Amino acid sequence: MDKEIKHLRTYAKGKKSGASAWMWQRITGLALVVLTIGHYIMMHYEPKSGHDYGSTASRLSDPVFKGMYLGFITIGMYHGVQGCWNVIRDFKLKPWLSYTLFGTLVILAFIFLGIGYNTVFTFDPLKP
Amino acid sequence: MAYIPNREPIGSWSRIMMKYKRNGGSWAYLLHRITGIGLTVYLFVHIWALSSLTKGNAAFAAEMKTFTTPPFKVAEWLLGLLVMWHAFNGIRIAVVDLGNGAKYQKTLLKAVWTVGIAVVLLMFILIFQTELFGHPIL
Repeated sequence: MDKEIKHLRTYAKGKKSGASAWMWQRITGLALVVLTIGHYIMMHYEPKSGHDYGSTASRLSDPVFKGMYLGFITIGMYHGVQGCWNVIRDFKLKPWLSYTLFGTLVILAFIFLGIGYNTVFTFDPLKP
Repeated sequence: MAYIPNREPIGSWSRIMMKYKRNGGSWAYLLHRITGIGLTVYLFVHIWALSSLTKGNAAFAAEMKTFTTPPFKVAEWLLGLLVMWHAFNGIRIAVVDLGNGAKYQKTLLKAVWTVGIAVVLLMFILIFQTELFGHPIL
């Protein structure tokens, strides 16, 4: 029991140990497993209707689907960038180099999130 | 742990790769990272590709037609391979980190390989059903 409490307390230290980042990595990871499997079934069970413009348009006019897509790319980006930071840090690069790589990745992630959000919000199903 | 820390500065990527112990779990760890980087890159590509939705029906349909050509179908299957490995091994990592889960890591790894290979083969049949059977089976 004492060991368990001690174990939980290491998570409470959070920022110092990076444990909270690791915990979020697992939480977002499990969320992504559920979302990805759902996405795969939805898009590929009936590949034609999954990928045509009409069905995409009807999904994107549904606020629940809109929210799901936005959540999906946001969680995915967080998980991906956090994971890459883990990999970068393991290579024992010079600090300026690892921070530059990570910074570039974060900026790119925000730009592409912007593109994704723009697609979802400015999508017009009536456009020819 | 898969990675053996050392004190000397590391010159090249190949040298760091040689420092991994060659156990099943180490390969899983390495594959998890490689597939993870691959999937992050794919997420960028995916968002970029789907931004054509804002250009209207014709542009989107033309793009989708490109994505159903054989090279893209192979790429789709390879993507499925990355996704399935990363997802199943990710579940294993989460379980191993919970309470007593580390006891079962080797059993879980076997399960990951079994389920993973089964799903990836099933995906192959589903993606190439027209090429394999001459007509769609689903």
